[in-house]
Amino acid sequence: MAALAEALAEGLSDSYGAARPTRVLHHAKTAAVAPPSPLIVPAGSLHVLTCGSVDDGKSTLIGRMLWDAGALTTDQRAAIERSARTAAGTPDFSRLVDGLAAEREQGITIDIAWRYFDTERRRLVIIDSPGHEQYTRNMATGASHADVAILLVDARSGVKVQTRRHAAILDLMGVSSVVLAVNKMDLVGWSEERFRRIEAEFLDLAQRFAFRNAAAIPVSAVLGDNVARGSGHMPWYTGRPLLEHLQRVPDRQSAPGASIGFRFPVQMVVRAGQDFRGLAGTVASGEIARGAEVVDAASGRRAHVKRIVTMGRDLDSAGAGRAVVLQLDADIDVSRGAVLATPDSAPQAVRGFDARLVWLSDEAFDPGRGYLLRSATDLVPVTALDIARHLDLATLEERPATGCTANDIAMARIGLGRAAVLEPFAEQRDTGSFVLVDAVTGTTVAGGVVIETHAAAAKSAGKAFRLTRALIKQGVGADLGNDAVSEQELRRRADEIAILLRGAGVAVELDDRWESPWRRLGGDSSAFWLRALAALSLAYTAAIVLGLF
Amino acid sequence: MTAPLDHLDLLEAESIHIFREAAAQLRAPVLLYSIGKDSTVLLHLARKAFHPAKPPFPLLHVDTAWKFRDMIAFRDRTARELGLDLIVHTNQDGVARGINPIDYSPSIYTEVMKTQALRQALDKHKFDAAFGGARRDEEASRAKERVFSFRAEGHRWDPRKQRPEMWRLLNGRLGSGETVRIFPLSNWTEKDVWRYIAREQLDVVPLYFAAERPTIERGGSLLVLDDDRLPLRDGERVRVQRVRFRTLGCWPLTAAVRSDAHDLDSVIEETLSASVSERQGRLIDHDDAGGMERKKQEGYF
Repeated sequence: MAALAEALAEGLSDSYGAARPTRVLHHAKTAAVAPPSPLIVPAGSLHVLTCGSVDDGKSTLIGRMLWDAGALTTDQRAAIERSARTAAGTPDFSRLVDGLAAEREQGITIDIAWRYFDTERRRLVIIDSPGHEQYTRNMATGASHADVAILLVDARSGVKVQTRRHAAILDLMGVSSVVLAVNKMDLVGWSEERFRRIEAEFLDLAQRFAFRNAAAIPVSAVLGDNVARGSGHMPWYTGRPLLEHLQRVPDRQSAPGASIGFRFPVQMVVRAGQDFRGLAGTVASGEIARGAEVVDAASGRRAHVKRIVTMGRDLDSAGAGRAVVLQLDADIDVSRGAVLATPDSAPQAVRGFDARLVWLSDEAFDPGRGYLLRSATDLVPVTALDIARHLDLATLEERPATGCTANDIAMARIGLGRAAVLEPFAEQRDTGSFVLVDAVTGTTVAGGVVIETHAAAAKSAGKAFRLTRALIKQGVGADLGNDAVSEQELRRRADEIAILLRGAGVAVELDDRWESPWRRLGGDSSAFWLRALAALSLAYTAAIVLGLF
Repeated sequence: MTAPLDHLDLLEAESIHIFREAAAQLRAPVLLYSIGKDSTVLLHLARKAFHPAKPPFPLLHVDTAWKFRDMIAFRDRTARELGLDLIVHTNQDGVARGINPIDYSPSIYTEVMKTQALRQALDKHKFDAAFGGARRDEEASRAKERVFSFRAEGHRWDPRKQRPEMWRLLNGRLGSGETVRIFPLSNWTEKDVWRYIAREQLDVVPLYFAAERPTIERGGSLLVLDDDRLPLRDGERVRVQRVRFRTLGCWPLTAAVRSDAHDLDSVIEETLSASVSERQGRLIDHDDAGGMERKKQEGYF
């Protein structure tokens, strides 16, 4: 297999070399990056967000990366070769990046697009986000998936207001590795002096936002300088070309500062046969080993991990990113929405928190409307959403505000109808991020991060109506049984009623201790029924003895 | 310490996560099983997601009655061996009207026997979610597709009504009349699919491997005759050649390639070093430019 891979890699680089039209390049060097063998699985992946406007040459830069990395097929190459050339006489690489027909017609990007290609060390996932000012929401969406961002500027104009906005959004979404690609260096005579001025401005900006990993690279996307290979035009630049730089940026798995505390948001309960009950989820952070103790963050109940199940084989341990099923040694009544953690660093279930959020919906925030908060795997009615301030992207200052419309970045205090496990985003990515959902239309209206949590709910004006389990069970849930599935359905109905009431202007609080009654009797359901049966038969025997029958 | 996850491990975990989110959030999902390599990977991931339980949804195959016989045999064997619930749906109205890929244009045939058929099946069984094997790398118009892709009433895809997707959070709360198509393989590439098939040692339809097959050349494409329903035109001659398929569909609309790749290793080697994008083999796609995008708006997967 290895020999085959080698032979293949050789053959490939030959054929790609031949396909590459070096004649149109001003300096006909062979590309530094040969496409890796398709049989070699990259060690990991890096998600790269590209930010900048069409005018900065962003589509051209992405197209150039795909072209030079050998990520294109012959027919795709031929199509580009056939199409109209740029002023510099090179193929129009930007055409590789155009997606929807509507976009081609308008000539602007209207949404985020995903591209994939392999480099020697890792898979690169290019997330292309539009640069138009009104598209803050699109960029924020893209940034939520990114490990690193390329900020693109035109060497003729340097760092602009827009660049600062982009930096602010990256900061908000927790992207701390940023590369400034100073494009169109060919149009400023490859001037080092100009590049250094822009670089200094950028490093200032990077410092302000405390980006962990910041670098500026002078490039020409049209001509390919410092994209996949170095530049003969800029001998004064001793750093790495862009693609090489991206080989070395920390990815999600290796990023320093990622918390090591184990977090496991439970997606669902998996049952098989009479005996197997497991908790399905993806390890959000840290690591879990067979035999280790875990705690359900909301209830504080503990158990040990009996098995880490995957199809094919059980694992001894599972690290961040792995999707598994955990079987515990005791039934601690955990279902979807719960977060399992290591006992020494477990988070809390909270009723309120301070957040930074981006409003995504075309419909403005409406305090009378019902919203739901979707966290890692929980969905909870929002009882209070108080917008406190907006981040002004022009000045990067915060100012008092109340409403929220599309593309606004707001600081808000959020109260929840039921306690949910949340923690600061700075400490935990997966349990610190959320989206807000319109309860009626189901659409995602905002996305954000947790800044600080509060144990108690934010005080809503007036007295809240307390919706207890008993109230729901009496009428709305009278048809439901006592098993776990019914219990989940009961909770769902309670949430929906809370949403309706809230829509009608009634503040609602749901019972925190949403336990099924038989749970309190101790043990599991079968033990309860055994006891009930025993009690019944005892009563029956007594009745017979007493001559009642 | 556990070893860091490689690129395929990460993709696998992401897909499993998507399957579980969908199963937890939606009432009646179904897995659209089209028998090809992507469906093979999709089904395998679905089994992994719910192991040791079985996937909590049935498989649906929209049968146009023009699939290769090998595909149908593979489909039935897969469902039987894995003990999965398989629903097969054919647009009987289309059959009654005699809609076929020979006498009708690919766009009409696809609309009736695939798009309408799919809508009929989803409506009939009241499915609110359908898993599909579409990938973002397949075609330009798919590069912006969401993992949870919403359909308004009538299965209409409206680019303006698609939800932003942030973090690892997937929002499957449906509005009135809405359904959702779910793409767990969104971030996989064709390379990844083959690498994964090799790694997991998955069975695929034998048509992906080279063998002597009866072929004709028509319109620059190499067609394999799967039965005697395709009348030969003047000058066309049946030649037995070693060919295989890169993508599978209805046999009169799926082009074969000459090849000697007879096992997984050689297929992978050949496919991955291929210089032509995979959809070249699907005749419906280059019916007209921007065709996929319009088909999607009409409800084609």
